[in-house]
Amino acid sequence: MIENSKGRHVRVGIDVGGTFTDFVLTDAANGDLAYFKEPSTPDEPSRAVVQGLANIVEKAGLSPADVELILHGTTIGLNAIIQRAGARIGLVVTSGFRDILEIARSRMPSSFDFRARKEEPLVPRDRIFEIDARFDPHGHLVRQPGKVALAELAGEISAAGLDAVALITMNGYANPQQEERIARALQDHLPNTAVTSAAHIWPEIREYERTLVACLNAYIQPLMQSYFARLENGLRELGTDAQIFVTASNGGSMSLGSAAARPVDTILSGPAAGVMAATRLAAAAKVPRIITFDMGGTSSDIAISSGAEPEFATRTEIGGLPLVLPVVAVSAIGAGGGSIIWVDDHVLKVGPRSAGADPGPVSYGRGGQSPTVTDAYLVTGLIDPNRFLGGRMALDRAAAKDALTSVAERIGLGDAVLAAAGALDVATAGMATELFKTLAQRGLDPSDFALMPFGGAGPTHANLLAHEAGIGRVVIPPAAGTFCALGAVTADLRRDFVRSLRIELDEESEQRLSETLTMLAEEGEAWLNAEGDLATSAEVSRAVDMRYAGQAYELRVNLDHLSDTPAHTAVAEAFHQEHERVYGFRDPVAPVQITTVRLAVIGRTPPVRLPILPTSSEPPVARSHRPVFLAGAWHDAAIYDRHVLRAGQSVNGPAVIEQEDTTVVVLPNWNANLDTSGNLHLIPSQQP
Amino acid sequence: MRLDPVTLEILGNKVAAATEEMCFTLQRTGRTLYVKETADFACALAGVDGTFFAYPRSIGVSGFVALDCMPAIAAVGKLEPGDVILTNDPYRSVGLATHLPDLHLIAPYFHEGQIVAYGWTFVHCSDVGGRVPSSISPLNREIFQEGLQIPPIKLVRAGQMNEDVQLLFTANSRTPDANMGDIRAMLAALATGRRRVETLIAQHGVASFLAGQQDLLDYAAEKAQRVLRKVPEGTYRFTDFLDDDAISNLPIRLALAVTFREGTVHLDFTGTDPQVAAAMNVPSHGKPHAWLTLRILALINTLDPTAPLNAGLLRNVSITAPKGSLVNPEHPAAVGVRHAAAIRVNDLLNGAFGLALPDVMPAASGGVVVPLVVAEPTETGAQNVQVVEPMIGGTGARYGADGVDGRDSGISNLANNPVETVEAEIGVEILSYSLRQDSGGAGKWRGGCGLELSFRVLKDGAQVLGRGMERMKFRPWGVRGGEPGELTEFFVKSGAQNERRYGKIDVLGTERGDIITLRTAGAGGYGDPMEREPWRVHNDVRRGLVSLDAARTVYGVAIAADGVDEAETARIRADRPYRSPAHDYGPERGLFEQLFSADMLDRLNAALFRLPAARRAQRRTNIYNAILANLPGDFPSGPQVPTQPHRKRLLAEVEALEAETSTLSGA
Repeated sequence: MIENSKGRHVRVGIDVGGTFTDFVLTDAANGDLAYFKEPSTPDEPSRAVVQGLANIVEKAGLSPADVELILHGTTIGLNAIIQRAGARIGLVVTSGFRDILEIARSRMPSSFDFRARKEEPLVPRDRIFEIDARFDPHGHLVRQPGKVALAELAGEISAAGLDAVALITMNGYANPQQEERIARALQDHLPNTAVTSAAHIWPEIREYERTLVACLNAYIQPLMQSYFARLENGLRELGTDAQIFVTASNGGSMSLGSAAARPVDTILSGPAAGVMAATRLAAAAKVPRIITFDMGGTSSDIAISSGAEPEFATRTEIGGLPLVLPVVAVSAIGAGGGSIIWVDDHVLKVGPRSAGADPGPVSYGRGGQSPTVTDAYLVTGLIDPNRFLGGRMALDRAAAKDALTSVAERIGLGDAVLAAAGALDVATAGMATELFKTLAQRGLDPSDFALMPFGGAGPTHANLLAHEAGIGRVVIPPAAGTFCALGAVTADLRRDFVRSLRIELDEESEQRLSETLTMLAEEGEAWLNAEGDLATSAEVSRAVDMRYAGQAYELRVNLDHLSDTPAHTAVAEAFHQEHERVYGFRDPVAPVQITTVRLAVIGRTPPVRLPILPTSSEPPVARSHRPVFLAGAWHDAAIYDRHVLRAGQSVNGPAVIEQEDTTVVVLPNWNANLDTSGNLHLIPSQQP
Repeated sequence: MRLDPVTLEILGNKVAAATEEMCFTLQRTGRTLYVKETADFACALAGVDGTFFAYPRSIGVSGFVALDCMPAIAAVGKLEPGDVILTNDPYRSVGLATHLPDLHLIAPYFHEGQIVAYGWTFVHCSDVGGRVPSSISPLNREIFQEGLQIPPIKLVRAGQMNEDVQLLFTANSRTPDANMGDIRAMLAALATGRRRVETLIAQHGVASFLAGQQDLLDYAAEKAQRVLRKVPEGTYRFTDFLDDDAISNLPIRLALAVTFREGTVHLDFTGTDPQVAAAMNVPSHGKPHAWLTLRILALINTLDPTAPLNAGLLRNVSITAPKGSLVNPEHPAAVGVRHAAAIRVNDLLNGAFGLALPDVMPAASGGVVVPLVVAEPTETGAQNVQVVEPMIGGTGARYGADGVDGRDSGISNLANNPVETVEAEIGVEILSYSLRQDSGGAGKWRGGCGLELSFRVLKDGAQVLGRGMERMKFRPWGVRGGEPGELTEFFVKSGAQNERRYGKIDVLGTERGDIITLRTAGAGGYGDPMEREPWRVHNDVRRGLVSLDAARTVYGVAIAADGVDEAETARIRADRPYRSPAHDYGPERGLFEQLFSADMLDRLNAALFRLPAARRAQRRTNIYNAILANLPGDFPSGPQVPTQPHRKRLLAEVEALEAETSTLSGA
């Protein structure tokens, strides 16, 4: 065993997927970057993690003891929430609010469907307990349970046989320390049941949303803790004492200890890691603004990233429940490769139903009867039936064609190819429409961005989407298939902190804002110090949610360009400017209110060096040619292997560039150029 | 269809998305209560015929898809690029606006000198003048008391704001700045719509854009027709009641005969009461208006969720709404709280459709929307006004499923307010916000529970407004042997006094420390409660939604410490009395109809409608009062009373009226 971790230089990023567990290994000593795929072991995911780690270090000629750091993303928590397979938890609420989860925000999923049901609450009503504790909006404790009442409550909770309970008090956000004290007092009576204080976990105003944060944390905590314990055991048995970090929904990472205490922070780490990898690669390639485009089997997701920072959201949905924690903002925009093509009266439809991986597209030959987007790629020649997944899985083009022929006949579209091309047009227009809506809500214009695709079908569809959405550049990174593992290995440490204030911004409240920022910064610093010596530098990012008095929505305003204790006039001006940017006007008369103060602490980790691709001035050599149907006509497209292309080479569309894990389509009148980092840049060859 | 199946699908998605983008623009920039708290706004795209071919699905008021912009457009004459029409006048816009606070804006979208579409948007603004702040009170008797009436006029001419209109408009509002803020937000939304339409035409060509409008309407109409063909043909009759008209204690009757035939549906409201001298009239202009047809949209969407949301859905709907009735009032009838009547219209359609489709339609929902509002004085002398919670009931049980507890999207799908933000904004301490035990109508499938909201007033001089308190007299009905839901209840506890039960309030003055409690009606049940599976009853008891006592007496399920007592349950259920599989409207309506029977009220209303419009309401009031004067004051909520002598009296009154009006043909 090596005693001093400073001497080591190997980091491994790991992403557990449904089929494969992906590994990326970086060696700071020589700049090597290695990739590896290990079949996943869904019954016990840590087995594939441990086995794959052994394999990749061996492949790199190293030993497990050389590994300094393991960064690991997991979907265990997410799956447990979606499948409602988490712990048996209870909820303790202020008296009078037992139905906080039943009433929720009162909305139904549909106004026009009287068969619509509301979401299944995470905690059934018979496991919700009332406690006579609450605060006023200023954080003064106005009702406090006595010792006897607490003991009685604890007795009821014990009798219910629960794994964990969450505690929420009305206005607890205004005094998280005091709520935490009540939680500890309850915990003293309940040695075998973990008690989570909602205000301690996330002191933001809005009781329903805060309750969900606490409940979700409690719901997945037992599962995650036992997984982490098994993982750590397995890795230690392998002979590594590397630090183990877990990736988070905010695109950062945290120690195993932090993740065990706050597993709710890790729920959406999978998509976040992919977006973070794209963000890093875009920054390295000097592409300032990107829209990431992750096209998988059931759907496509986009995220926005500019200035080496992804966009964050504090309003996402997870398994039908709203989540207010800051997460890398990912929006679904429509079809995936498995989305089903069908006919509804007079129109051709794509999705939202998906054939998934099983039975999958017709061409998989696993019993799928409905044609999918993947079948449409095949029939139009965009993908090669014999080279799917590097040739590991032969596709049945004839079956795909038959299925699309029947679609064509039902709708009078001539033949299978026209039906396939029509379906791709529908899917593309649908994605572009949603992309426009997503950007319009932010006052952004797609033409200011490059599109960076990843995921199985992303590079295949990216040029189609870019063309439809008026995006003038597509950047396709190398090894798009192990993207999330790459995102993990490059992750910084990051945690978010919040405090709701609700004050009018003026001279009087300036002090209060500064104090709150300072307090959050101290909390952040304490956390980062406790995480170990991994970070090479620390940063904080500060933002304030503000609005004009009486306004509907808060606008988040970043304060990083201001001093640590900013003047109220400077903060107000930052808000006016942001308001003008987003909504087109400012209101110099209306009072400005602060509702919530936010701070992220970021511990930077050393950047990963990416391999340099050799340069060539020779024209690229096509492996073959085949007909592809694009833009309403057949073309004789050149087919290239990506791994033989060199930096500086350029491919003219229409063309298809094939690689092990995906296929890149280049439209007519577009060019593909390789840079020295191995990114393919698709740009229109004829500027309109 | 004019377009190919690919272009039509693409265009359909794009125009719907354009309307949603318009809404985002409006919502983000709007500043007032109705935009921010209740999303009481919408945006859409109308074709050259003035009806909506594209409507947002996920944001804004969902029910206005059937509105018609054409009368307002026609009223202003020739339009130029950059013009924007403003109206809030229900009568002169022929039902586009349905009460005065709704400001409607219409902008023509031009392409090469021709109008190719209209952008439309509306916002419920804070105040347009009139007798009371916020302009809305059920007690308004004429529209003149409800604020400034703005016939369709050009607010913007060729891109220039009409300053004279603006001056007049702002001078007639208590909240001029907020109103202009809303108008700016709406103009921004219309600009967003115009940009999207321009992009669409650039991409697809103007011919496709115009053909697509027609195709989308046809597509929706065909889908709707296919759904309506599934309904067994025939005529189905149903009646329901509003508790009162706010200015008197007299119930309001709504009657409907719905006829399904060959994929069409006809709604005949003959038998509905004359328009009232309160603000509950629904200005439909005798058209299949949005407020009268919501339930049809819901039926179509429930049976075929893929139908696009546009005016084509209602192409196969026709209507008879007697002129001068509650559902087709004549100027100057007040209309401010027309949604209160619309909620009952929804129940009425639901009930009638249920006779045709008993396995599809649910029992009555809670049937209330009460935005419980607190207004407190501030240091500056202005008022701080805050909706505490928009209070609703649950949804009705239906074949195979319980109703939804404490939520109901039947009229509008409003989000509630976080308790913590309410307490941060206004001086109340909310004591409970919860489901109401035993309020959902019992049944084989249980009706959804109503809500309870209780709060303490923390400041002196605060007022509580509770408009829309309904179902305090007549219960949400159960079907096929299901029981009705519990009635709405309102209580005030002041000082050391005991809690006192109140009837309906409009504005209630309070003192610091008062405790206000509103419990909304539960929804109706479906099927005999004695047939409810015992495990479901046990589950409800465990979750506290049904009491142990109700489990035994209503459901016949005995529950012991370790679960259902099977033997005892079997014994209770074996002894149960016969329960009719008919609708159960509750004892109050039963007693009321012993006297005011359906056939008698049909005759009374037929005769009333032969009178000149101006005389109907008073005559009706006189007749009712003549009968009720001899009955207990709490009739029909009190104990059973003999009704025979009063029936005779009513018959005499009706016969006299019939004789008097036999030579009149009606207005």
